Amino acid sequence: MAIALTHPEFDLFFQDLKQSYRIFGPMRKKGKGAMSDTDVIDYGPISSANDIVWLEKSFFSPKVVVNPIRETLFHFVNQRAVVPEIDVQPILLLLRPCDLAGIDRLDTIFLQNGEISDFYYERRRALVKFAIMGCETGFDSCFCAVMGTNKPNRDAYDYAFMPSTKGVEVHFGTSTSTSTSTDASTDASTDASTRLTDDIEPALAPEHNRLAFELPDFSHVTIEQIFSHPMWLEYSRRCIACGRCNTSCVTCSCFTMQDIYTDDNKQLAQRRRRWAGCHIDGFTNMAGGHSFRTKNGERMRFKIMHKLYDFHRRFGKHMCVGCGRCTDVCPEYISFTNTIKKVSEIIVEVTTHANRQ
Amino acid sequence: MSIDRKIVTKNAYRITKKRGLTALRVRVPGGHMEAKHFGLLQEIAMTYGNGSVHLTTRQGFEIPDIDFSNMAEINVKILPLLQDLNLAIEVSTTGYPAAGTRNISACIGNRVCPFANDDTTALAQRLERAVYPHDFHFKIAVTGCPNDCIKAHMQDFGIICITEPQYDASRCISCEACVKNCKKKVTGALSMDAFNVSRNHDLCIGCGECILKCPTGAWSRSDQVLYRMVIMGRTGKKNPRIAMPFIKWGDQDTMVKIIENTYAFVERYIDKSLPKEHIGYIVDRVGYQVFKTEVLEGIVLNDEAEVAEHIQWGGYWYKDGLNF
Amino acid sequence: MQIDNNPYLALPYKILSIQRETEIDWTFTIAFDAPLVGGQFMQLSIPGVGEAPISISDFSPASDKSPGLLHMTIRKVGRLTDSIFELVPGDMLFMRGPYGNGFDVSLLKDKHVTIITGGTGTAPVKSVIRSMVYGSVPTLSARIVCGFKSPSDVLYKENLSLWQQESLGTKTNILLTIDRATEDDTPWSGEVGLVTSHIPSLGDTEQYGHIDPLNAMAIVVGPPMMMKFTTLGLIKAGYLPENIIVSFERNMSCAIGKCGHCKIDETYVCLEGPVFNYVQAAKLLD
Repeated sequence: MAIALTHPEFDLFFQDLKQSYRIFGPMRKKGKGAMSDTDVIDYGPISSANDIVWLEKSFFSPKVVVNPIRETLFHFVNQRAVVPEIDVQPILLLLRPCDLAGIDRLDTIFLQNGEISDFYYERRRALVKFAIMGCETGFDSCFCAVMGTNKPNRDAYDYAFMPSTKGVEVHFGTSTSTSTSTDASTDASTDASTRLTDDIEPALAPEHNRLAFELPDFSHVTIEQIFSHPMWLEYSRRCIACGRCNTSCVTCSCFTMQDIYTDDNKQLAQRRRRWAGCHIDGFTNMAGGHSFRTKNGERMRFKIMHKLYDFHRRFGKHMCVGCGRCTDVCPEYISFTNTIKKVSEIIVEVTTHANRQ
Repeated sequence: MSIDRKIVTKNAYRITKKRGLTALRVRVPGGHMEAKHFGLLQEIAMTYGNGSVHLTTRQGFEIPDIDFSNMAEINVKILPLLQDLNLAIEVSTTGYPAAGTRNISACIGNRVCPFANDDTTALAQRLERAVYPHDFHFKIAVTGCPNDCIKAHMQDFGIICITEPQYDASRCISCEACVKNCKKKVTGALSMDAFNVSRNHDLCIGCGECILKCPTGAWSRSDQVLYRMVIMGRTGKKNPRIAMPFIKWGDQDTMVKIIENTYAFVERYIDKSLPKEHIGYIVDRVGYQVFKTEVLEGIVLNDEAEVAEHIQWGGYWYKDGLNF
Repeated sequence: MQIDNNPYLALPYKILSIQRETEIDWTFTIAFDAPLVGGQFMQLSIPGVGEAPISISDFSPASDKSPGLLHMTIRKVGRLTDSIFELVPGDMLFMRGPYGNGFDVSLLKDKHVTIITGGTGTAPVKSVIRSMVYGSVPTLSARIVCGFKSPSDVLYKENLSLWQQESLGTKTNILLTIDRATEDDTPWSGEVGLVTSHIPSLGDTEQYGHIDPLNAMAIVVGPPMMMKFTTLGLIKAGYLPENIIVSFERNMSCAIGKCGHCKIDETYVCLEGPVFNYVQAAKLLD
């Protein structure tokens, strides 16, 4: 089912949803861009439909809603671990189709990798329903169509909001909807709004992106050939290991533990985790001072191969979902997609060389 | 040939080496000018001058080798330039009402530079309205960040745009990018304390580097742009020296009002026996404490602002024995 | 408070004794009763200070006479281990685990076994060495080479010399070697030279007769460079790559496949390792 709402109707619909959910989505944080007189589009609590930023891609991803930058795991009180409570009110998360796939990749790591699922991720994730933000044209750096994340399954979301000239079309996914949200839709769909029949899947993201390219085919090369290629040296020169690609990526999920005392007598302590990233110094540090991948080109290679090769080997799907944020946020103008193309080129180079021999 | 040298100079033409020839000094506040005026500058240089234009150290233009007799005609033509200064006073076809306060220079600021904490052009233009056509020869410059590319430290009033970094520990991943950068490039105002960054406010110069380096937005800008004012730097033939901090973490109104107040201060204390006593020497004579009291009169400082208790300027005196 | 299904929950365990192996390597014996496999690791912590992966060096299950014991040799290298070294018997250490696969000693059964360790790499293999000495895993022969930098760096001096004594006249032999003789006062009567220099003596000898590479298993654990050259040396000496077992060290934060620190290629060292077959390990490029 779908309904076409005018802007004021959509706002009412939104207010109804707010009765049942805490709503998080991309919003403008005025003056909070790193450079002066700039805003940042970041995920935060949305209080009215007007807060939703449709026309720009968010700098940071929605992962922060299910995997906070810092998360306290335990408070230790007199040698006993206490798990902090969290707000258990359901969350409606507004995100683009690529980001929905990104959450799936986080699920894969936190819930499926190994036999044990991540308690903290799981309890937040269980609160979250999704509302897709229709992404009719995408943005310059997007490649969701290449990664195949442009057509989310209807059972993966509750709502899809498609902006139109008159307002917003609200499509209903087949994921379990709460009764409240159904009521809300009925209320809002009286009178002025039009019920649309949509047995056809709504086109939530473009069929093709402005960027079009083939993913590298690793089937005829050895991983040693890729690893040892001098191509990566370029990134030792260009990459400054600032970590923005990691922090803006919806699928980067690495973290590091931190322990601190929370009182002066060391009777109270906190164990928490915070985001970590393969580009950021210290990620591979071992006790005793040894570390791996000290060159930035090696970190670039590690990330690229994880996003487009080894995650797929392990889980049967690529980690990268094609949101393009890493390209958008790189201060050194390193394009992820351009790097992918270079990997394809070196595969051709390596295989032709091998054929000639 | 008879000209009234005082009137000519006030009209922004200068006496030059070549008898009978003058040069027009074009004000460009903040060093930022609409490109459409280039045609006018070109026309004046080619019609009345020698076909060349000089870029001044203060970011103005000087069009040399103009016959004094052409001043009136040129004054009519430059009206659009004067109009674009957006002055508080009326401008007319009689040319610049004053040579006055030196052209206010500014670095390119945050319209282009990622490091700049403010729109230096806009601030220079605001200051232009506040100070022009005063006649005292203050040198004022606005720089977008403490890197001070415009050399605010060589001015009577150097305004350095700063931000008071705001830290949100809940967004911090302890990557130490800010700490390492501050240590290497700035004052080392940041240090790690139990995985959080702590900022030594006294050491912090508000450059905003930490905000630029932060990959998560744990550091962000203060709601208001703040400023550091350095004063009484100078070149000259007696005692070259760099300007010293007078106010830090002050707001923009404070910066503008201090400069406005200084005109009255100068009026009161200037040695009129000299052709134009320089502000720095007046402050040397009457003392910093008097200067401070008088220029801060009527100003309600913002909460963050701090005023220097004493200032000891350095530099050197040519008359003292130098190392030769 | 949901805590039962929280895999990060660390619980306090009592330190029973502390044995100083070297100045900076101490073995902590902890009361712990759960099934363990040599080569596995625990996440050890002190709340407020930190948590880190530490190999299990030896263990014994609970009996009528004794509680279950867990031994871990810890090197003092940083914030957490500095604090652990301030603890005394009776104090509590927080732990979760065990994690990782550990050594599958059944693979060594009825084989000619070679074990080569370097420095602290001896710790995760200690329980395997013990089972060689006491025959809990019957083998055709067991040649064990434990290498250390200098005499003062030797771990498990008492155990190893006891085990050397006990092995006399058996098909098990323990050889201790130091990289080079030093000027310190610690007397040294063992061998001198890098572990790799002893590889030739591990081939056919009078004592053991002909070693059929198809019938030999090797375990190599130590610093990255030592493992690299030792495995290459063994292969050169005729050992089959698929019969060599190595153990990796990475700085895991979670130990359950989430934090990403130990991922190499598509392999998570905490889940699939830290013990790997060499054929598999050789493909793990970092």
